[in-house]
Amino acid sequence: MPHGLRIAREALAIGSVSRSEVLRYLGYQGQPLSPELDRRIDDTVARCIRIARSRMCMASYAVREIGAQGVALEGCTLRLTGHDIVEHLADASEVMLFATTLGAGIDRELRRLSLTDALEQVIFDAAATALVERATDAAEARARAYAAEANAYTSWRFSPGYGDLPLGAQGDFLAALDATRQLGITLTPSDLMVPTKSVTALVGIHPTAQPGLVSSCSICSLSDFCTIRQTGRTCRG
Amino acid sequence: MDSISVATITPLGHQALRTPRTRDEHLARVLSREDFLLFDGAMGTQLQARGLAAGEIPELLCLTNPQEITEIHAAYVAAGSEVVTTNTFGANRTKLAGHATVEQIFGAAVSCARASGARYVAADIGPTGALLQPMGTLSFDDAYELFAEQVRAADAAGADLFIIETMADLAEAKAALLAAKENSDLPAFVTMTFDEDGRTFLGTTPEVAAATLSALGADVVGINCSLGPADVAPLVRRMMAWASCPVMAQANAGLPHVHDGQTLYSIKPGEYCEAVRGMLDFGVTVIGGCCGTSPDFIAGEKALLEGREVAPRDLCADFAVASAQQLVSIPAGHVGVIGERINPTGKKRLKEALRSGNHDYVMGEAISQTDAGAQILDVNAGLPEIDERATLVRLVSELQGVTTLPLQIDSSDPAAIEAAVRLYPGKPIINSTNGKQESLDAVLPIARHYGCAIVCLTLDEQGIPATAEGRLAVARRIVAACDEIGIPRQDVVVDCLAMAASTDQTAPRAILEAMRLVKRELSGVRCVLGVSNISFGLPFRPLINATFLSAAFAAGLDLAIVNPMNERLMDVVNSWRVLSGEDENAQVYVGAYAGRSDAPAAAASAPAFDTSTSEGIAKTLDSMADTLQKIASQVSGAPAPAAVAQDATPQVTASDDGPESQIRDLVLAGRKGPIPEAVKLILADTDPAHDSMYVINQVLIPALDEVGARFEKGTFFLPQLMASAEAAKAGFTVLRESASTSDVPSKGKIALATVKGDIHDIGKNIVRMLLENYGYDVIDLGRDVDPQAFTDVVVEQHIELAGLSALMTTTVPAMAETIELLHDQAPWCKVIVGGAVLNPEYAEMVGADFYAKDANESARIAGEVLG
Repeated sequence: MPHGLRIAREALAIGSVSRSEVLRYLGYQGQPLSPELDRRIDDTVARCIRIARSRMCMASYAVREIGAQGVALEGCTLRLTGHDIVEHLADASEVMLFATTLGAGIDRELRRLSLTDALEQVIFDAAATALVERATDAAEARARAYAAEANAYTSWRFSPGYGDLPLGAQGDFLAALDATRQLGITLTPSDLMVPTKSVTALVGIHPTAQPGLVSSCSICSLSDFCTIRQTGRTCRG
Repeated sequence: MDSISVATITPLGHQALRTPRTRDEHLARVLSREDFLLFDGAMGTQLQARGLAAGEIPELLCLTNPQEITEIHAAYVAAGSEVVTTNTFGANRTKLAGHATVEQIFGAAVSCARASGARYVAADIGPTGALLQPMGTLSFDDAYELFAEQVRAADAAGADLFIIETMADLAEAKAALLAAKENSDLPAFVTMTFDEDGRTFLGTTPEVAAATLSALGADVVGINCSLGPADVAPLVRRMMAWASCPVMAQANAGLPHVHDGQTLYSIKPGEYCEAVRGMLDFGVTVIGGCCGTSPDFIAGEKALLEGREVAPRDLCADFAVASAQQLVSIPAGHVGVIGERINPTGKKRLKEALRSGNHDYVMGEAISQTDAGAQILDVNAGLPEIDERATLVRLVSELQGVTTLPLQIDSSDPAAIEAAVRLYPGKPIINSTNGKQESLDAVLPIARHYGCAIVCLTLDEQGIPATAEGRLAVARRIVAACDEIGIPRQDVVVDCLAMAASTDQTAPRAILEAMRLVKRELSGVRCVLGVSNISFGLPFRPLINATFLSAAFAAGLDLAIVNPMNERLMDVVNSWRVLSGEDENAQVYVGAYAGRSDAPAAAASAPAFDTSTSEGIAKTLDSMADTLQKIASQVSGAPAPAAVAQDATPQVTASDDGPESQIRDLVLAGRKGPIPEAVKLILADTDPAHDSMYVINQVLIPALDEVGARFEKGTFFLPQLMASAEAAKAGFTVLRESASTSDVPSKGKIALATVKGDIHDIGKNIVRMLLENYGYDVIDLGRDVDPQAFTDVVVEQHIELAGLSALMTTTVPAMAETIELLHDQAPWCKVIVGGAVLNPEYAEMVGADFYAKDANESARIAGEVLG
């Protein structure tokens, strides 16, 4: 039986991101790259890694109740509502909540670039998106290791705003992690996180192996507008 | 660019110097650094240990379980706490979310605290939970209002002091402190929280926090939360020299971990107190605990204080100013450089930038001055035809996005000064006041209230005194007024006013002598000078400026307001720093100048054109032809036509390999470097039809159209499209600089914004870049833009095309609302929408006239609507 985990704040050392992922965020479909652009992307990725202060926090909560309308957790006010999350966490005994952020330095650099260099801002933004995804992968791996230690399994990671889990859950989600104090993540009135390169996510801790570790496009609320799938890929690779 | 709200503030008028209302003599002694004060430990973790669920509003317990809250306070009092902190960390209107009023919570919380028998009750004020503009969306004024409501409620409930704590954003800490000072006369303690790297999440250092907040009137400053006490100690230590008030520390008991389902902290009371002892040794006088601490920790700290004397502290008396990220101090005997370039007087392009509201040029000036070695940047937006106050506020905000240098707020309008310094997160300089009573009455209270350094011009109702003694007399009066109102001497900067040597050759000596007198007679003040006035009316002004600058440094000048891009002046600064001993072992100088010499670098220097004789004219023409040939070969990569070198009249004919096709190739390749020279080459040729419009319509726009077509087909992807747009922009910039503006007519105005609630601005910025490069005037309202504010601009400027962006399904309704307002109040205006959550059907649903799937499409639609 899992024993509970809380990581108040931990630095993540992410030393590289996948170049093809950065290119994918830039809408790349195999066009020939000039040496200038090639070098520029490498330089920007390196600067992004240098400026980022990747941090995560993580906390496990036991599942109190899974009803038709949602999932209630022990010792926290976060209520996970919607059909998709109920299905996702069907036999979970526990959920692991986590948040990652690259810190405000990235937003400051994006703002500087928005005032000085639009192209650089676009490349930097793509690099930062790839980097926060890697940071979140690293956090997810910790959750998986925690589950494995107890002979349990994780389901794929799920975030507020995905499927029919409302973005409105962000406030309680961050509170359950004390993420404003620990990582400096704040919310706008429309529930967007600042620093903008921040991710909140959860995985279920299940007694049985879960069918896949990657989210699906079928319940993605953006699937109607997706331009990535038209190119034969998904935002997960 | 972001939308900035301009502060709505009332003029200060004369505010009496405020001494905080202290409950008793002991607290007064604490505030004058004569005694210790022991706070309590954690409230939040104590409540969680008693079963409070994460995410519950803990402040409501003051109403529902007052007994339990009082028990926690009482345990701390029993352990020795003199101060207990109310359970009101998040008790602001937003976080309480209608569950209770701010007054109810503070009323109950103060009662709970009072009932514990504590000597003092500190009203706890934590962060709002939202991030302030420009990185977040909360305006400074709205944050101030949230805090002011808490301050009034706490004061009315009978608290003894405020503890504003766990602040990560200096702007937010400033809003809270101003709210405390302006709505109550109780003492205000302010602490910020720092990360492992010694900065707050928003990048503020301990030095900046201490200097800014103590200048702003905090009664105690310090650090709370953050880390364990051993890691907090070195950070607090960095505050000591810069805080003119007592310094406090309330560290965490290390980091939490889970053991048998219980959350435990890593540091035990003994270890904690050892680290606190070290802090007491270097002068911390107010202590307590934060997350994870308990009455045991406080008991240990109480034992530490028994029989202990307050340790002496050395305060730094250097001149110092700060941005939110950087403290700049100029010790006595050192010299500093204030960049003067952001001032529209006599600068055509800057005037244009301020009038049009497109501040790219201003940002460029800030960046180049920063790179050239300026330590402070002067900011002036004084143009009669614009709203100076609003422009100054916006500039000050935007400049913080591109430079971390502290700013000097330069205006003759006290209301503009106040609006800018109120919002500025840091300690700025005000430029300026002078000896006129009217100016002293208006400006000194602003400098005092907001804790700014201030430039004092030695002129008064009688004008500028001609003699050194006369200037000293004015300076003496101003400094006396500063002393009286309570502005520390090291924040007072006297400007003895450089006057043109060409009109009065006794002026330079009088200025230098005045500085010597001011430094001798008015101890502790600094001298500043706008150097370049000295050379007005003379040829080769930089030479006169440089010579005068050397003399001024020798006479005691501390801060030179100059153009740091002028190498000759920076040479004087760098060499003076060697001669004065500031540049120890001449390390900086040797690094920058080793290997340099005055030997004439003939090839590199600009040719001296002699047009006084026909021989001279012929030589000049030869030289021009030579230069053009060099340019041509750089552009084409091949030698220029031989004819050019032979003929005194330069001729470059357009051919397939001429500059036109070169520009096209460069735009397609996204290489901007050689474009300006190629454009100049076309403008320089003799064909009168080859003017700016020719370059735009026959060269740049067709190249951009080709880029657009390739993007459309998928042979180019986004960065290539943008690199091409950037290259074309380099060409447009040359045209704008070489022609009078009337030669480059605007193709029409387009307003852009990311809608209310949405903070994603990348897509909008791409569209802006592309539209600008097609020659449109883009009014970029930023992100999170209120529907009515957007509509107002469209109506005021009668804009015919508007672009709206939304990236979240949740913000699409705000888009629909904006379009509805536009249709209602600006029916002439067409609307394009775009963004990740839109498609043609949604665009139609929200009432848009056009849907653009990408930036390229926006440019095509703009062409359709505006031509």
